[in-house]
Amino acid sequence: MRKILTVSIFCIVCFKGIAQNDSLLNRLEEVVIQADKKLKKYSVGYKVTTLNDSVIVRNTESFTSLLRFNSPLYLREYGAGGTSSASFRGTSSSNTAVIWNGININSINNGQTGFNSLTVSLFDAIDIRSGGGSLEYGSGAVGGTIHLNDYLQFTNTKQIKNQLVASLGSFETYRGLYKFKFSNSKLAINAGVSYNQSENDYKFLNTDFKNTNGAYENFGFNVSAAYLLTNFSKLKFYSANYLGERFFSGELPNPLAANDKYQDFSHRNLLIYTHEKSRLSHEAKLAFLTQEYRYFEDKTSSTFNFGKSKRYLVNYDISYSFPKLKAIVTSHSEYESVFGKTDQISERNRRQFSQSIIYNQNINSSVSFNTKLRKDFNSDYDVPFTYALGVKVKPFRNLFFRANGSKNYRVPTYNDLFWPGQGNLDLIPETAVQGEFGIGYKNNQFLIDIGIFYINAKDKIVWTPGGDPDRPGIWVPINLSEVNNKGLEVSLTFNKTFNEHAIKLNMNYSYIIATDKATDNQLIFVPKHLFNSNLVYTHKRFSFFYQQLLNGKVYTTESNSNDFVIPHYFVANTGLEYKLINLQQKQLTIGLKVNNVFNKYYEVQPRRPMPNRNLKFNINYKF
Amino acid sequence: MKISKLISKAFILSALFLASCSDDDSPQQPKGDYENGVLIIGEGSGAGTGSVSFISNDLTTTENLIYKKVNATELGLYLQSITFDNDRAFIVVDNANTITVVDRYTFEDDATITTGLETPRYMAIVGNKGYVTNWGSTSDETDDFIAIVDLNTFSVDNTISVGNGPERIVAKDGKLYVSHKGGFTNNNVISVIDIASENVQEVTVKDKPDELLFNSSGNLVVLSEGRTLYDANWNVTGNTLGSISTINTSSLTVSTELNFADGEHPSLMVLDNATLYYELGGKVYSIAEDASALSSTPIVESQGYLYGMEVENDKIYLLDASFTDLSELNIYDLITKNKIDTKSVALGASKIYFN
Repeated sequence: MRKILTVSIFCIVCFKGIAQNDSLLNRLEEVVIQADKKLKKYSVGYKVTTLNDSVIVRNTESFTSLLRFNSPLYLREYGAGGTSSASFRGTSSSNTAVIWNGININSINNGQTGFNSLTVSLFDAIDIRSGGGSLEYGSGAVGGTIHLNDYLQFTNTKQIKNQLVASLGSFETYRGLYKFKFSNSKLAINAGVSYNQSENDYKFLNTDFKNTNGAYENFGFNVSAAYLLTNFSKLKFYSANYLGERFFSGELPNPLAANDKYQDFSHRNLLIYTHEKSRLSHEAKLAFLTQEYRYFEDKTSSTFNFGKSKRYLVNYDISYSFPKLKAIVTSHSEYESVFGKTDQISERNRRQFSQSIIYNQNINSSVSFNTKLRKDFNSDYDVPFTYALGVKVKPFRNLFFRANGSKNYRVPTYNDLFWPGQGNLDLIPETAVQGEFGIGYKNNQFLIDIGIFYINAKDKIVWTPGGDPDRPGIWVPINLSEVNNKGLEVSLTFNKTFNEHAIKLNMNYSYIIATDKATDNQLIFVPKHLFNSNLVYTHKRFSFFYQQLLNGKVYTTESNSNDFVIPHYFVANTGLEYKLINLQQKQLTIGLKVNNVFNKYYEVQPRRPMPNRNLKFNINYKF
Repeated sequence: MKISKLISKAFILSALFLASCSDDDSPQQPKGDYENGVLIIGEGSGAGTGSVSFISNDLTTTENLIYKKVNATELGLYLQSITFDNDRAFIVVDNANTITVVDRYTFEDDATITTGLETPRYMAIVGNKGYVTNWGSTSDETDDFIAIVDLNTFSVDNTISVGNGPERIVAKDGKLYVSHKGGFTNNNVISVIDIASENVQEVTVKDKPDELLFNSSGNLVVLSEGRTLYDANWNVTGNTLGSISTINTSSLTVSTELNFADGEHPSLMVLDNATLYYELGGKVYSIAEDASALSSTPIVESQGYLYGMEVENDKIYLLDASFTDLSELNIYDLITKNKIDTKSVALGASKIYFN
């Protein structure tokens, strides 16, 4: 009764409260070493979905398509392989933070991550956490966070594992990926290289055109290592490097007009020292990250626009546990210095110090919660004080309630502030207060999680031609709108094995009402309905899978004019896999995937048809 | 703007005349849904395609996206201008490098030119040839050109190389006049091209010349916006003058120059009944075409972002452009200065044509 009362109070107050870390897939948490401990520890009350290695390997087309078919995010992509952004729960794409091994890697220049300008197939798992995360991950983590994680593992005996994945696909697409893992009781090393190349010149259905100028090529190289210094201390190192070149394809009525090219270079390095002895644990992090893009408006010309940034980050955590209370209190201190410039903006330096305190407690086996507070000191402007609270209650064996509430923010980007002639130095950070309440049921075969959320975002930074009344027609960013997002998210997984048959089903559905307070209209580029599902059926050495997406209609004008919409679309992919070798130490799988199996015409962005039916042949060799 | 209006008027009159000559008794057959009205073009933006709106002359009917409704496809980004001949409209879309050819009264698609153009802006028609200004590559100021389009085969047959950033183009007496606003950068010349010899001469005017029209004496009137100057850190360091210049078409010299005050940057100029109308700071001013000084009294103060303007039959049509939504057309009576009507029209509305 007391539990239920607690739940009700939290719900009534403001949806802050209750919950649990509900990864939809189980992890080997005991032995895996992660760079980012915050995600696992402090996601009480949040919904966290993990996309594991097998899902990633099945969806190597792009980070965009991986998320589109396997997560509750809405992806906007300017033609397959083009510029791409992702959003949670009707928030804007700059409200989605991408977190690499615990570090927010959104660009300092535009505040976003391009979802086709990084390859993720080298990561061991991708976690998707819906809900505000500014407290742990800083600016931009308003709608949710996407975590790219490397898992390192010490083993009692020496182990060497190799994985080679190669694929050949339509439109002259070649992909290769090699991962190496070494481990013993003191040392763990992961290394991986990936290479992708595609002409990507798919036919535009119902037209005489092809996706000309859509080719891409990229190379990724990741290394991570952990070393056991003493029984209490470890040293960990992570490095991720990416080089990519893409051409930006054109749109109807004349895709031949496209003539631009884009290059990305990023290098991310992170060193972590941890010391854990009895009740006290320390962790120190040192990170250095660089990012650069070059945009060639004319691919034949050597002139380009660019943006570059360098980031230095120092972080110190100390936590102390109270075993009797089953509680942990943690202090995070972080100092960051960022240098950013573009061809239009001379180099600027932004420094930020943040301090947060987190308190975690399991009251008993069925109630756990955490409370978090954070204060930032920024060299450019005042960042609001942020807080978050998460609670999970498990009143019965399989039933759980979860709730969370938080205040989050997004600081203006360098483009917002300093864009020549248009940047606005008077901008303040946008803030969002949100709450979520979820109820779920979980047993060995079945998991369902139903959550309702509410987000109130104020001072949204919007670029508008009427931003400065003295200069009509000049696009300037201002703290303009107040928006309310509310909706429902349902996710479901089902696993069943009988005799030699196994079925696995995943589904995500979201219903989102996101309105501008001034007009009460649905925000542009926010689909009310988003549904995807994945079905995998395995029999002995055979696997069959089917994935589908139903993406609702979106409006592209503030007045929700029916003349300017992107119609809803449905697209499905399917595939067959066969294990040629299936031994403990060695597995060889071959697979064939058919994307857009019904050969449907669909557009994610206006006048940019997406690929017609296409094939991918895949070999996955683990040894 | 003006030349196409003159052409359209001429053809409407001739069509009427021919129609009435050939068959005096039977009523005239309508040529299409979009006859006897006003066409508004919108550039489009990330929020939606470039499009054409139609408003009937009696202002009772407004129809948006008429090209899409007739042809079930979109014109794309960014719809820059339309040029008309007898019964066709040539729709220039600059980012798409296309000219879409439609029946001007039914808007049924005839052809789309997809090759030989690179950021096309405006077209002038002489005989069965179209002359199209093109900015060329964004990263090259020396590759700008006039594309010569065969209006029977819809192919670009030839090009004439011109200076940086050719914008408006008008034709008169075997010559083409091109204002070089400067495209992606700046320029300050008017090119005069002899059509037969393709010989190009340049006349220097004030910075950023845009609108071109011929006055009653047949001389060329040019509106130059003038530039705002910045230092390396994009602080404003000064301005160059805007001006209404008149070029004598015989001697190809600037005969008069009405300069705006330092820091004033006019835009949009049209001619109607020997009166010039121009925009400055969101307000509309008018002067006689042979005036020796600019006006200091606005005739109409526009609403929102004044991005397009036309005058006909004592009415002034002003576009309040939105690039995130439908725009507004406000129509004022020039005599009473009262607003007659407001219509919701194309996204990024920029130009008005009388069809």
